[in-house]
Amino acid sequence: MSDGRLRQVRALAQRELDAVVRTRTYLVLVTLFGLAVASVPALGGAGGYLPLVLNLMTPVEVLVPVLAFAFGYQAIRADAERGELDVIRTYPVRRATYVLGVFLGRATAVLAAVLVPLALAATFVPLASQPAPSFLASAATVDDPIYYVRFVSITGVYAVVALGIAVAVSTVARTRREGLALAVSTLLVVVVGLDLAVVGGLTTGVVGPDGLGAALALSPASAFRGLVLAFAATPVAGASAPAPAALPSVVGLFGWLIGTLALATVTVWRA
Amino acid sequence: MTDTEEPVLTVDDVRHAFGDLTVLEDVSFSADRGSVVSLVGPNGSGKSTLLRIVAGLIEQTGGEVTVAASADRPVGYLPQTPAFRPQFSLAETLSFYGDLAGVDVDVDDRLRRVGLQNVPDRRVDALSGGMTRLLGIAQATVGDPPLLVLDEPSSGLDPVMVEHVSAVVDDLAGEGTTVLLATHNIDAVEQMADTVLVLDDGTIVAAESPTALRERTGADTLTGALADVIERDETASVSVGQRGGAE
Repeated sequence: MSDGRLRQVRALAQRELDAVVRTRTYLVLVTLFGLAVASVPALGGAGGYLPLVLNLMTPVEVLVPVLAFAFGYQAIRADAERGELDVIRTYPVRRATYVLGVFLGRATAVLAAVLVPLALAATFVPLASQPAPSFLASAATVDDPIYYVRFVSITGVYAVVALGIAVAVSTVARTRREGLALAVSTLLVVVVGLDLAVVGGLTTGVVGPDGLGAALALSPASAFRGLVLAFAATPVAGASAPAPAALPSVVGLFGWLIGTLALATVTVWRA
Repeated sequence: MTDTEEPVLTVDDVRHAFGDLTVLEDVSFSADRGSVVSLVGPNGSGKSTLLRIVAGLIEQTGGEVTVAASADRPVGYLPQTPAFRPQFSLAETLSFYGDLAGVDVDVDDRLRRVGLQNVPDRRVDALSGGMTRLLGIAQATVGDPPLLVLDEPSSGLDPVMVEHVSAVVDDLAGEGTTVLLATHNIDAVEQMADTVLVLDDGTIVAAESPTALRERTGADTLTGALADVIERDETASVSVGQRGGAE
């Protein structure tokens, strides 16, 4: 990438990051997410890193896409609606440069919003004097902080993938109302719809037992779950519900990321 | 400028349609370096569409638009309703656009030119409509594009502001920037334009200096002259001369 392009990407990313930091709504969302994450070890007890991973897995699977969509679904739509996208187009900015800059700026904000509360949640583990009996999941097995580190890392990837989908939504929608409707429906598809589709395919025989792993990997939520079970909850992975294997999950998540950013790049100038 | 210097802007036989609706029909004109060309016409006559085509934001259905310039940013653009990210100051906004243009913007100088030098740190959402328009003009000049396309630069401005915008446009033209603008403000046309392009129902029906247009039609005012040519619905293909009048 040339110095000029790099300067453009940096300027676009910084603009997105500054806009997020200076917008109260985003700060409220980050606070709510942080409280939700903190409530899991606070309510369920932090009897170890592995139990914490298991307790956080489902809330994170749902809340992270919600947060990423809130950060991203208007990112480009707002520039277009304001007419500023037209102005930007009169500068020597390629569409891929613009999308990349917007994405990187928002991704930095989303990663900070997701990873900092998760890192803080881990401090409950050594601080907790005794594991509290819980209605949430618990696991009496080999514990290691590395499981939690892996979980946080996988969550970061999941957040970035969800943001990529949200940014693509922000280029496809033509109006604010359409953007909101598209974001909500896409979010539902990402969080539960694709999983339900796989279950439907399984019951109707469209998806066979052999293809279940690959089919689940097509869902970002399932792929996230698969990676968490494969790398961050290894000792209890066998006792869990069916999940895709690691490699299809990685391919699935990166496929979503690259595919949605490519879609955003193709459609951005007509946004 | 010499006679052999090619026009900065050449619009050749441009047509445009939105589906079955034709909004521009065989529009041709050219504009030389340092000229101010004002596009006037009734609502829906195709002014903004033509400006957006010249700015490269819409691809015309037919014909050709040529901007003869080697600059990284050949066309600066002021939209009809300029708006910027509300969370940023004027200085931050211009610096951002400087980064996109690949230049280090002298923010103070840009703001001074449009009369906003006293509020560089004010947030964009605290600006009046007129001040936002002035910031839009400052933005349009970032990267020193040889052609400026301004959609309603004096809309919503008080008479003092209109005078100010006219002076800014005059300065830019004096420095060699070609300005193509659309406006409903006939006073502004009188003040700013070397040449008036009258667009009616998607076609150019007159193209000459405001004075020449008045004299030709025998109207006392430019408004009267415009009403006269729109009624006659003449057509013209023109070359717009240097600052000082049409060729």
